Amino acid sequence: MSLLSPDFLRRLARLRLAVRRKFGGASAGSRRSTKRGSSAEFAEHRPYYAGDDVRRIDWNAYARLEELVLRLFVAEDDLTLYLLIDRSASLGVGAPDTKLEVAKRVAAGLGYVALSGSERVSVIPFSDRLGAPLSPVRGRRRIGTLLRFLEPIEASGDTDLGRAVEEFLARSPRPGLVIVVSDFLDPAGFKRPLDRLLSARHEPVIFQVLDKEEMDPTPGGDLVLVDSERGSQVEVSLDERAVRAYRKRLEAFFDQISAYAKQRGLYYQRVGGDIPFDEALVAYLRAG
Amino acid sequence: MPSALLSPISLAWLGLLVPLVLLYVLKRRRETRIVGSTLLWELAMRDMRAERPWQRLVPHLSLLLQALVLILGALALARPAGAGQIPSGARVAVVIDTSASMAAHEATGSRLELARAQATAIARALPPGGEMMLVAASADPVVLVPSSHDSAMLERAIEALLPTGGGGALDRAVALAAERLRDAPTGSRIIVLTDGAMDGTIRLESQVPIEVRTIGEALANDAILAVDVRPHPTEDQPDRAEIFARVARFADDDHDLWVTASIEGRGLVASRRVHVSHERPSSVVLSADLPPDPDARAAVVVVELSSADPGDGAGAHATGDALSLDDVAVAPSPGARRLPVFLVGGAPDSIRRVLLADRDVDLFATSVADLDARRARDPDASDLDGVFVFAGRTPSEPPPGDSVVVAPEGDTVFGASLGPAVRDTRVVSWDEADPLVRFVRFRDLHIREVRPITGASARALLTVEAGTAIAGLSRPDGEIAILGFDPDQSDWPDHPGFVVFFRNLLERARARRAAGGIHPGRLGEPLRIPAPDGEVVVVRAPDGSSESATSRGGVAIVATRAIPGVYTAEVGRRRLHALRNLFDAGESDIRPRARFETREGGAEVTTDEAREPREAWPYLGGALLVILALETLWATRKNAT
Repeated sequence: MSLLSPDFLRRLARLRLAVRRKFGGASAGSRRSTKRGSSAEFAEHRPYYAGDDVRRIDWNAYARLEELVLRLFVAEDDLTLYLLIDRSASLGVGAPDTKLEVAKRVAAGLGYVALSGSERVSVIPFSDRLGAPLSPVRGRRRIGTLLRFLEPIEASGDTDLGRAVEEFLARSPRPGLVIVVSDFLDPAGFKRPLDRLLSARHEPVIFQVLDKEEMDPTPGGDLVLVDSERGSQVEVSLDERAVRAYRKRLEAFFDQISAYAKQRGLYYQRVGGDIPFDEALVAYLRAG
Repeated sequence: MPSALLSPISLAWLGLLVPLVLLYVLKRRRETRIVGSTLLWELAMRDMRAERPWQRLVPHLSLLLQALVLILGALALARPAGAGQIPSGARVAVVIDTSASMAAHEATGSRLELARAQATAIARALPPGGEMMLVAASADPVVLVPSSHDSAMLERAIEALLPTGGGGALDRAVALAAERLRDAPTGSRIIVLTDGAMDGTIRLESQVPIEVRTIGEALANDAILAVDVRPHPTEDQPDRAEIFARVARFADDDHDLWVTASIEGRGLVASRRVHVSHERPSSVVLSADLPPDPDARAAVVVVELSSADPGDGAGAHATGDALSLDDVAVAPSPGARRLPVFLVGGAPDSIRRVLLADRDVDLFATSVADLDARRARDPDASDLDGVFVFAGRTPSEPPPGDSVVVAPEGDTVFGASLGPAVRDTRVVSWDEADPLVRFVRFRDLHIREVRPITGASARALLTVEAGTAIAGLSRPDGEIAILGFDPDQSDWPDHPGFVVFFRNLLERARARRAAGGIHPGRLGEPLRIPAPDGEVVVVRAPDGSSESATSRGGVAIVATRAIPGVYTAEVGRRRLHALRNLFDAGESDIRPRARFETREGGAEVTTDEAREPREAWPYLGGALLVILALETLWATRKNAT
């Protein structure tokens, strides 16, 4: 378990995934479901129809209303956690750890928490399209499977979040918690793909992974910056003025994502630079 | 400050501005760095380009500083220098006015001393590769030191400079220097150090810049402009003479002076108080007895000026004025006209009659044998001082002074050769330009018998068909006329030219005796004293100092300082003297008044008192270094932030 330290895992064991929406699970679990089930939590009454389980008839209501009604209880389903991990070439930069390494640790941490909570976890790496996914697994014992899947993922390809989301949705997954771990530096933007997830009844969670140099460039030197994905070049005299202009643009980008998340009721968390991944994870989990 | 670019071609370095700007225009060599995405950088760069123009100039401060460095560097390499400055590698000719007026004393020393100090400063400040030429602007300009970087040699030559009479030919001195600097490198120039005490406009012609540094203030000066002594005998006073002196004052006010006359070596004979106007010279006539000395030598009259104001006499000069060279003058007395003529052998009657016709001639008859006997009796006896007329026999060596040889015996006489006698020959030509035959005509002269004279040193005065009939021999202490025939054997004595010829001879001898036996010359010029080769001649100056020189080529050249008066020289058994006076109104007027100009299209003439002998390029270089430091500071700070 090189991605996660034992101490950190112990911290994670006491936490659960924060879910703001209710999802219908594939099997009984510990999460409130949109479906009616057999939990102890009363949900509502409905008229009795032939074939219904007579054990659920509310005889007290019949005595008062002289109508047969059934007592429905809230079902408790398991949660499916989809980890959409950006593995495009832009995640391959960064020091001392690449952004992809950070993204994989984020995914590992969240997967660990989910598996510890008997949630179903699926990992879908993507770049300009989806990569081979880790089919949903469940149970704490599958943590090793999760980590072994994450370990060999390498950065390559361009970022196309929109296409990746479309392909993801095309597989008709059950609605669930979709953790999108990416730098979101996609010229096509991030709003439309995330909106598509929302419309498919998923709950997107935004983990934006950036390198320290991306968040706080060091001034000095005349550089040709080469885009790791598109290959485009930008000549920059990295003086104070240029850094100032970059930071201004970066802050605007952060504000844009933050505003979007707030508007949609989504969770947004930056990772990297001065924000270690473990703190980011704990912050997210505690928010739930 | 007037300035010039000594190496204007170096301005070509400004062409580097083009590649410098190109370096900013062209893409810089940049380090390539792979980043995750350039998306935000592209937006940031777009923002920067959209910002206001004046902010875009900020990074170009480096370009501005570098352009300044380049411009200053090119200017420094162009070696700008003021007109009074000596650039590296340049040649400078220092022309020092050594005229008599430069002996005038200013508050801090004589003008020549001040000029020497400036010239010495220039010599000591010669930059690497620089050379200096020293030209003395005397009456006859001379290059004392050709272009040299040896400051020690230059300083020695500068220290040896002395004022001389005869004025300073600045124009010719500058022309001489300009000729020597014709191919000199750019930046070379001529520096003229003068008091400007000359009349009129001095035209200085040169292709190199000329800088005239004037030295001295407008000081008052009293001067003796001329002295003449004429006989005015009476029955009771046969040696009575009148001493005429012309005295002038060059100032803005009048002055009273004492004019005194004395006999050199004996004492005061006359004096008079004179009111000297500054508007015109005053003439003074003094009467005095001027008897010869016990050796029958004619007296030399010394005329001096002294101030009538006792307060003025406290200074270094009797008149208290700035220039002392013209406060004393010397002149021969009328007794100097008395001319002893020694007839050696039987002189022709015609010559004897002509000599007797001159009342200032004292005739003495002797022979070669008597002369030899006199020398044998007293080897240290002084030589006879007069004109010798030899007839027939001649001694092996000519006596000092002037001589005439008539129809000599033998085949040679005093270095000239005599040919066989030729009879009834006719005159062919004569040298009308020679002073001895001035106003003498030989046309229709009939000579019965003549022996033609030949010899390298003999110049032909009269040429007949047979050859030279009368020849002249020039010697340092006189001249010899050789007649290849006996005048009594011709009809020459019947011609007026015969008398004129001997009159010319006697007057030239008198002039030489009056001058003391030494060639006339200007004040301060070396004395050219006739003396046997190898003999050391000692000259005593009027101030009592002595100078000596060894004779070469029959002449001893003894350097003297500009002191008016009588210079005496002992040459063997002879005692010679030379009289030196200034007698130059132009030099006595020591007020700066000359205007200097150059010919149209020529080099610029500037006047200045003094300048620091430095080029401007060190200052430009310093500014360049400061800007380089600023540029470095800017660059480092830019990268540090």
